Order: sequence, then C-alpha cells, then structure tokens
Amino acid sequence: MGKKSKNQKKADNGYLEAANFQNFSASEEREKLKLEMVEIRENADRVNTVAIAIAKIAKQVSEGAESQLQLLDRTSNGINQMNKSLGETSLQAESVASSTEELVSSVNEMAASIEQVSASSAALATAVRQTVTSIQESTSNTTRVAANAQEMATSATQVIASMTQMTTSIRNVSDDTENLTVSVNQTASSMEEMTSSIGGVANNADDLTAASEETSASINEMAASIEEVSATIENLASTVEEVSTSIEEIAQSVQGVANNAEQITEVATDSATSAEQLDHSIQSINGLTQKANEITRAVGVDADKGGKTIEKAIQGLARVRESMVKSADVMRDMGKRTNEISTIVDTINLISERTNLLSLNASIEAARAGEAGRGFAVVAEEIRNLADRAAQATFDIAAIIKALQSVVQDAVSTSNDGLRIAEESGTLAEDGLSGLKQILGGVEQTTQLMNQIAIASQEQLTAGQRVVTAINTTATQAKEVAIATHEQAKTTQGIVQSTRHMRQIAQQVTQAMGEQARAARDVIKAAQNTNNLAGQIRKATFEQNKGAQQIMQAVESMRRGVISTNRALAEQSTAGEQISKESERLSQLITNVTRSMTEQSSSANQISQAVESIQTQSEQVAKAMEEQSRAVQEMNLATRSIAKQIALIRTSNLDHSEVSSNLLARIDELQTIAKNNSSGVHKTHETAQGLLSHTQALMEVLKVGI
Amino acid sequence: MNKSADTSQPFILFELDHTTYGIPSDMVQQMEMVEQITPVPNSPSFVVGVVFSRGQVIPAIDLRVRFGFGKIAYTLRSRLIVINTNERTVGLIVDTAREFVSIPAQTIQPSPEGISSLSGKYLAGIATLGERVILILNVSELLVLPELVSERSP
Repeated sequence: MGKKSKNQKKADNGYLEAANFQNFSASEEREKLKLEMVEIRENADRVNTVAIAIAKIAKQVSEGAESQLQLLDRTSNGINQMNKSLGETSLQAESVASSTEELVSSVNEMAASIEQVSASSAALATAVRQTVTSIQESTSNTTRVAANAQEMATSATQVIASMTQMTTSIRNVSDDTENLTVSVNQTASSMEEMTSSIGGVANNADDLTAASEETSASINEMAASIEEVSATIENLASTVEEVSTSIEEIAQSVQGVANNAEQITEVATDSATSAEQLDHSIQSINGLTQKANEITRAVGVDADKGGKTIEKAIQGLARVRESMVKSADVMRDMGKRTNEISTIVDTINLISERTNLLSLNASIEAARAGEAGRGFAVVAEEIRNLADRAAQATFDIAAIIKALQSVVQDAVSTSNDGLRIAEESGTLAEDGLSGLKQILGGVEQTTQLMNQIAIASQEQLTAGQRVVTAINTTATQAKEVAIATHEQAKTTQGIVQSTRHMRQIAQQVTQAMGEQARAARDVIKAAQNTNNLAGQIRKATFEQNKGAQQIMQAVESMRRGVISTNRALAEQSTAGEQISKESERLSQLITNVTRSMTEQSSSANQISQAVESIQTQSEQVAKAMEEQSRAVQEMNLATRSIAKQIALIRTSNLDHSEVSSNLLARIDELQTIAKNNSSGVHKTHETAQGLLSHTQALMEVLKVGI
Repeated sequence: MNKSADTSQPFILFELDHTTYGIPSDMVQQMEMVEQITPVPNSPSFVVGVVFSRGQVIPAIDLRVRFGFGKIAYTLRSRLIVINTNERTVGLIVDTAREFVSIPAQTIQPSPEGISSLSGKYLAGIATLGERVILILNVSELLVLPELVSERSP
C-alpha cells in the first residue's frame, strides 16, 4: 500500500500541474476536487467496514442455519420414534379390544349356563313341590288308614267281647240243657213212678215247663247275641274293605312319590353338570381378565413412553423456534446494514457525478486556456475516467445490494414461514401430548375396571363353588329321598298283602258267623221243639189216662232231642272257640297294621322334612342363581364400557397418528425451508465477499486517485 | 488552440432522449447539476425558470421542451449546460452530459438536405465518432428566442 503506482505518479503530477495552474476558477475546482476525493475515500472506508460486518453477519447466519438443520433432524428422529410407539400402542389397543371381545363372549356363555342352571333349579323346585304335595297326600292317607285301623281295633275288641258273651251264653245254654237232661231223666224216673204219683208228675211237668221256658229265653238271648256278633262282623268286613282300598291308594301315592324322587334325582344331576360348566366358564373368565389386565398395563407403559417422546419433540420444536427467531433478527439486522450501505452508495454515486461534472468543467477551462492548460486537461481526463469507474462500481454495488436485499427479504419471509410452521408444529405436538394424556387416563380407567372385573370374577368363582356344593347336597338328598320312598313302597306292598290276608280272614269269619247263625237257628228250632214237647207233656199229664207209653215215647224223643241239642251246643261251643281264636288273630293283625301305619307316618314325616329341606335348598339355589345373573349382567356392562373405552383409545390413537404424520410433514417443510435458508445465506455470504472485494478495489483506486 | 482545418475541436457531448448531441466547448462557460430552479411566471414553456450559480442569475431552458420532446423529471444525471454567446448566458437542461471529446473536423458532415428546412437550423452538422452519430448543435440559433425575434423585427 506504500508503493507509488503509475496512477499515483500521474496523480502526483496532476497535483503539481494543478498547483502551478493560476486560474482562479480552476484552483477552486481543484480544492473542490480534493475535498470530494477525501470524502470518497472516507465513504469507501465506511463501505469497507460495513461490507466486513455484512460478511460476519452472513457467517453467523450461515452457522445459525446449520444448527437449525441439525435441530430439525433431531426433532424429525424424535417424531419418527413417537410414530413407532403410537403404532405399537395401536396394535396393543387392538389386542385389548379382541381380548375384551373374548371376555364378552365368555360372559355371555356364563350367562347362558347360569340361565340353564336357573331353569334346572326351577324344574327342581316344581318337582320338589309336587313331591311335597304327594307326600302330604300320602301322609293324610296314612292318618286316615291309622284312624280306620283304630276303628277296626275297637270293632275287633267289641267282637271279642261279644264272642265271650256268646260263649258264656252258650255255656249257660249248655248248663241249662244239662239241667233239662237232668229234669228229663227225673221225669223219666218219675214216669216210671208215675203210676205211683200223678200229682208228683204234674209238679215235675210244671218244673219241666218252667225249665224249658228258661231254656227258650236263654236260647233267644243267644240268638240275639249271635245276631249282634254277625252285624258287628259285617261292619268289620266293610271296615277291612275300606282299609284295603285306602292302603292301595297309599301304595299308588308312594309309587308316585318314588317316581317324583327319580325325576328329582335326574334334575339334580343335570343341575350338578350345569354347575360344573359354570365353574369352568368362571375360571376361564378369570384367566382372560388377568391377560387383559397385563395388556392394559403394557398399553399404559407405552402411552407413557409416547408422552415422554412428544415432550422431547415439543422441547426440540421450542429450540427450533428460538433459532428461527434469532435468524430472523440477524436477517433484519443485515437488512438494516444493507440499507445503510444503500445510503452510502447513493452518496458515493452523487460524489462520482459531481466529480464527473467537475472534471468536465476542468476540461472546459483547460481547453479555454489552450496550450497552458493541456496538462490540466489530461489530469481532468483522468479524473473523469476515475469518476466513471466509480460510477460504474457504485452501479454494480447498487445492483448487488438490490439482489442482497431481495435475498434478505426472501430469507425473512421464509424464516417467518418457518416460525409459523414451528408454532403450528408446537401446537400439534401439544395436541398430541393431550391426546396421549387422554389415552393414559383411558388406560388407567380400563385398568381399574379390569381390577374390578378380576375381583368380581373371584367372587363369582367362590359363589359358583358354593352353588355347586349346594346342588351336590341337593342331589345326594334327592337320592336319599328316592331310596327312602323305594323302601316306603316295599313296606306299603307288605301292608297291601297283610290287608289282603285281613280281607280273607274277615270273609272266613263272616262264613263262620253265618254257619253259627244257622246252628243257632237249629238250636232255636230244637228249643221250640222242646217247648212244644213240654207243652205236650203238660197236656199229657192232663190226659194221663191216655197212656204212659205215649208219655214214655214223648220222654224218649225229648231225651233224643236234648242229646242232639247237647251235640249241637258242643259243636257251637267249638265253633265259638274257633271264632274267638280267629278274632284274636284279627286283633293282632290289626295291631300290626296300626304299628306299620304309625311307622309309615313317622317315615312319611321324615320324608316330608327331607323334602322341605330340599325345597329350602332349591330356593337358596334359585336365589344364588339370581344373584349370579345380576353379577353377570354387571360384568356385561363393565365389559361393554371397557369395549367403549378401548374404541375411544383406538380413535384417539388414530387421531394421534394423523397428528404425528402432520407433524412429520411440517418438519419436512421446515427442513426444506431451513435448507433454502442455508443456501440463501451462502449466496449472501458469497455476495458479501464479492462486495468486499469490489470495495477493496474501489478503495485501491481511490487511494491512487488522491 | 482551435484549428478547424485538420485538427480536432473539443466538444461537450450530451444526450437528449437517447440521442447524442454535441456543442463546442469554447461556448460552454460551465456545467452544473440541476438543483434549485426558481420558476419565473409568464415565461415561455421551455423556460423553466432561473438558476443562481457562481454569483450569476442564469435563465434555464429545458431543451427537451425546446425540441418538442416531452418533459421528464430531473435526476442526478440531469445537467445544466451554461453557454455563453453573443453576450448572453443561458443554461440548457439536458438528460445527461458526461463526455468531453475531441472530434476531428473531417468527421463532421453538414446536415442532409431533407431535414435542413425544419430543424436544420439548429443542426450545424452531424459527426461520426466510431459507431456513434453525434448531432452538432448550432447554439446561436438555439438562443433565438421569440421575444428576441419580436425585438429584432422592427
């Protein structure tokens, strides 16, 4: 910079020439020229410093753009990760949805099996009720039979009493007949002594008459008692018939109870199998709810991860925004500097124009001076050249500055766009974050619901087990009832047979009584005969004279009649004893029947109690089923709400995916903008460098000029 | 020293509407930029006013208007050429005047016949400088003003 170039030498010469030149206006022009050159130099200095500043700024902006690009890359990576986690969350939400659907179907199966059990329990209840009514009928029948047996017992005792009476009366008759025989013998002996004393015969005949009248009276009593016994035995026969029919009815009802007990057993077995199915389904539901619980927890963890990634993305976007704002400020600064340069360039332009004008004026004056001004003319020419070059340089600089300003304008607008997009991305990321938080909340709710379902299914399990045990107990009790009723049926069959025996015995007794009655009538007839004979004897005593042989014959026939009467009485006695024995047997049978009836009654009571307990059990089972049904309905509701929740999670997941893909698009835009920015800044940098070289050249030129 | 025979004469070249004109430099007193013009009322249209320069009041004529071109705005490049002939000093406002050249006399040709009658009185001749065509102005004719005409004519 210290060397003197050709131009500088010329300039020195010109200066000398100008100093020698005496023209006033020319020297004035000279002064003006000097000042203008100094000004130009100062301005060129300023331009130089400003150009250096611009170069620095451009470098800063370039660095800023580079860091922006890096930030955007990182943000893009973060958002890609978020996208992946969202995808995973979506998959898991779908698997939760499918598990929930399985859950729903299992709950429905359970509800169906519960309904089956309910129906079986209802059938069981009705069968039990039928059994209860049959048992009640049989119990009433049994009580009736017992009453009838009591009546029969009293009738039998009455029969026995009558029989004893009859026996005593027969014995009385026998005694009387013996008395009669004795009297007859006495009469016979008296007859033989008849001739001796007719008076005695008459007394004896009176005695005879009285005795035979007494005999007749007692025989009538006997006939009457026999009639009573016959009537009583007919009553007994009819009572036995009634008892027989009642016992047959009992047998039928017991059979019916036995059949019902069979039905109950079948129903109880069905219920047992349904209860086992219920148990299985409850266990499977338990397993499914455990799985769903795990899945929901995993979804929660993933949503958490997604939330953290989004927060990082938001932070990255905030940093991008900051850097964008900074680069916008730097751009604005550069714009201001270029404006400053513009004004300086305008000043330089003005100076070059003035310099040109001055040089023209100088040339004019030099031309006017003629020979003396030739040197000055040359100097003026040179100055004009300089001024033209300066003007050209300022023109170029102005063009460059215009280009620079337009580049800065583009950069500012693109950075504003970038800022807007970064803000939009920020709001999108925040939306994504809130969506993820909603997902997290939904997942937490789902977890709580899952826990509730797990607890409910545990309770279901225990309740179902209780139901199973109750049903099993009912089944065993029903079996016991069936066995008891079978035994009852056998006992009743035995009773039926006993009653048949009783009927046969009653018939036999009736026959015997009929024979007795006939024998009694024969006796009565014989007694009447005896009475007649006694009368005849009385007549004969009044007709003594007719013949002792007739009397003897009459006495002989009387004797014969008495003997046959004895025989008949003996037969009667034995028949009466037989009847007595038969009546005792009947009495025993009746007591047996009464005992069996009481036993029946007690066993029927037991059965009744057992059936009542079965009834209560089945009622309990029915209640338990109702509770189960309700619980299943609640579970259904819970699973439906879960399904809704999961659908919500799915939709928010889809929204989320859209949001994150929008974010990605925005960030792509941001990246391209930043790249454009970077290239623009590079251009600016190069332009600034060009400007710097131009101004340096200008400065060199100007330094030469002075 | 001007020798019109075989030597060249220095001319000031200026432009009007993209046409280059030239006037001899000995007629030019000075050149200024167009800055402050004080308008004078009731003056012909081409007289835009007066200019104060170097202690002198110089009337300013807009040559565009004088030649019938439309008037345009004055820029940084517009010049006021102060010419001095016949004891009269007038300033001519032109689009731009940046050149001071010596034109050899042999390159100056007289203006063609066709245009002599109309504006030919303004043209002293047409010079060629390389590829360029320069119209040499007759300044004295230029300075003939209508009132002067009326002054001259008795």
